[in-house]
Amino acid sequence: MNEGLAAQQQTGAMQVVMIGLGEEKFALDAGLVREIIDPVPVTKVAGARAFVPSVINVRGNVIPLADLRIRFGMPQPDNSADTRVVVIELELDGEPVLVGVTADKVYEVTEISQTDVQQTPRVGMHWKPEFIRFIAKWREEFVIVPNMERILN
Amino acid sequence: MNAMDPTEVFRQEASELFEVLEGALLDLGQRPDDRELVDSAFRALHTIKGSGAMFGFDKVASFTHEFETAFDRVRKGEIKPTQELISVALAAKDYIRALIEDPQSTDDIIGEAILDDLRRFVSSDQPAAPVVAIAEAPPLAPAESKQAGWHLYLEFESHILRNGSNPLDLLEDLCKLGPCFVVPVTDGIPFLDEMEPEDCYLKWDVKLHAACGKDAIDDVFMFVSDEMKLTLSPLEQVEAPAPMPLFQLLDEEPEPVAEIPAPVLEAVAVPVAAQPVAKAEPRSEPEPKHEAKHEPKPEAKSEAKRDERGIATVRVQAERLDELMDRVGELVIAQARLSQLAASGSDLSIKIIAEEIERLASSLRDTTMGARMVPIGSLFGRFRRLVHDLSRDLSKPVEFVTSGEDTELDKTMIECLADPLVHLIRNAIDHGIEDTATRAANGKSEQGRIELAAVHSGAQVLVTVKDNGGGLNTARIRAKAEEQGLIAAGAVLSDHEIHQFLFHPGFSTAQTISALSGRGVGMDVVKRTIENMRGSIDLTTRPGQGTTVTLRLPLTLAIIEGLLIRVGEGRYIIPLSAVEECVELTAEDERSRGRNFLNVRGNLVPFLRLRELLTASGTPDKHQKTIIISTGETRVGLVADQIIGNHQTVIKSLSKLHSDVTIFSGATILGDGTAALILDVAQLVTLAQSKVEKQHISEAA
Repeated sequence: MNEGLAAQQQTGAMQVVMIGLGEEKFALDAGLVREIIDPVPVTKVAGARAFVPSVINVRGNVIPLADLRIRFGMPQPDNSADTRVVVIELELDGEPVLVGVTADKVYEVTEISQTDVQQTPRVGMHWKPEFIRFIAKWREEFVIVPNMERILN
Repeated sequence: MNAMDPTEVFRQEASELFEVLEGALLDLGQRPDDRELVDSAFRALHTIKGSGAMFGFDKVASFTHEFETAFDRVRKGEIKPTQELISVALAAKDYIRALIEDPQSTDDIIGEAILDDLRRFVSSDQPAAPVVAIAEAPPLAPAESKQAGWHLYLEFESHILRNGSNPLDLLEDLCKLGPCFVVPVTDGIPFLDEMEPEDCYLKWDVKLHAACGKDAIDDVFMFVSDEMKLTLSPLEQVEAPAPMPLFQLLDEEPEPVAEIPAPVLEAVAVPVAAQPVAKAEPRSEPEPKHEAKHEPKPEAKSEAKRDERGIATVRVQAERLDELMDRVGELVIAQARLSQLAASGSDLSIKIIAEEIERLASSLRDTTMGARMVPIGSLFGRFRRLVHDLSRDLSKPVEFVTSGEDTELDKTMIECLADPLVHLIRNAIDHGIEDTATRAANGKSEQGRIELAAVHSGAQVLVTVKDNGGGLNTARIRAKAEEQGLIAAGAVLSDHEIHQFLFHPGFSTAQTISALSGRGVGMDVVKRTIENMRGSIDLTTRPGQGTTVTLRLPLTLAIIEGLLIRVGEGRYIIPLSAVEECVELTAEDERSRGRNFLNVRGNLVPFLRLRELLTASGTPDKHQKTIIISTGETRVGLVADQIIGNHQTVIKSLSKLHSDVTIFSGATILGDGTAALILDVAQLVTLAQSKVEKQHISEAA
């Protein structure tokens, strides 16, 4: 992961999947994304932590469905026609784990330039800084590259 | 299919052979007179030697050869296998294993030392006797290494052609050593109508005019040396009359079973090594009247081989079985969806197909699960060495008895069980069995006894480790628990509750820490491992008479029968093995908020409202149902909105992100494709108990 980041910083470009959560745009490292599916019926898991409230069936596997909006203190509107589930694969404690992430909208797969990386500002943010890898500029907009491992642990 | 590394195949094969060898050696310690055990040990050795040479493990082959040579005198009945000899033989076996698995770590000096020991033991009673050479090459060719040539008499077993060996090729190889004069011996050829076309009847008389060593000739016949008689004599000598044919052809006729290269199957088919030879015994009886000349050993051996050929086994990689199980799991899920779809429609032909597929899927599932079942005996075998070594190290003579070896369990469970059982057996010997003096003082037999048993009980397998030692010292456990602050001094606890502290991490009552046990890691690990397998562990003890640890395990990890229930919007599964009965919650019980007890035929059963536990939304159904579940002695009612019915469940584990949720043991996929959670009954009971206790406390206050 970190090696990948270093390599990307050398080449300067990074493949990302651009998703919308609430008002914000988030860029997920395309290397993590396994598939993007339409919303499926969810099964609530009583007693689970708030940001992984449920599980879903993806091709015969039962995987947790995470809601980043809860981690970033956003409202959680009901599913719309644009809502998608982005299935990503993460390393948690050395084991690969599939996790579904609810996205209010999936925009496109694109490249962001590492040269446009902005320092995460220390003030003016109500999100925990450890959830954010960095903030980059993309088409005159600021997009957040989240640190998924931190967010889900 | 796939190109497996042949060396890897050899390693696998060898590891199975080692189990056979070890088992036979250990048994031999108990029953020194059992000829079959000697033979089976010898067979295992011989196969290791043969295939070791074939795969280039020269060191293994040469060491095993020496081992075999030394052991040969035991086989010939000239010396008795004593305990010391067995110990050295076990050490030798370990050395061979090391040679195969990690050649770098071994040292020739160790090997030499072991061999010296071996030779010392086998020759101790007859110091003059030389180390005997291997059976198939009588030591006729001694001192002179350079000579004019050799006279060979070749006689192959009649089935050699079916193994793919061609005697003519061998003869050609022989000719490469030097000029040969080959005369076929046609004595034993039967009439045409009696002739088996696939049998080899010819024998050969060869004069080899070459100054080659005996080794060079042995090399030619290396791969077939088991299946032939090679008589070798230096050429200058007056030619001895050719030995009489050793096999009457009729002996070979009634053997229609096709030859399979035996070594691999031998190991697979013979987990209990002694068995096939036992079967072979009566058959070899009529032999002597045909031919008195030849020694019975190779005869019995080939007889045994023939018997084993009947059992057909295929070696399959374990991962493939896992994959197969996964696929079957998915099929079962897909089939459930199909059935649901068919039931909701009105198309009769689809319904028929759905039923057909349901039947096929369920029988496929059973077959697949059956293929994954392994007799637990393969596991038990490993512990015999452990007990043997421990009882020697601690100088506590222990008799180790196993029963129910053929009880079958899912192979993953067998693997998971190994470590817990090692712990339990160690504990039993180290703590359970008293030393000889104490035993004698208490009027017990000097030899301790450990029983390892497996038995089916419904959908569960019970594995028990039972010792006849001193039993648990309840007072000491209690004192220790108080010392560690686990209970308040003077708290009223039943013995059963006190014994549970043994499973507490870091809890040890051993006064001194020995190399074996006493560090307090172990029992908690045992408990966790067993619970991870959805099993449970029981401890019973009788002071002065011993302790019994019972492990209750489900038959398989992959699929369970479950009861599908609905709570609010959500559907959940309760493992059917835990369900005792279902009753309707009476209006009276329903109304009462103060007491959460049911009256089930006069017994008080606490109940949990799943709606509260699972934070269900919406209004509850009018007639609430109660499912009474039990674990061990505790019974608890679970109140649900609706009982939907039986459901066969392929268990999917919950991911790491939900590892903090304890009341679910896993998840599954229902017919409509949604996920449903499986309730962890043991956790629910614990939850209920703690609630009841809280209630008691609040009542008391």
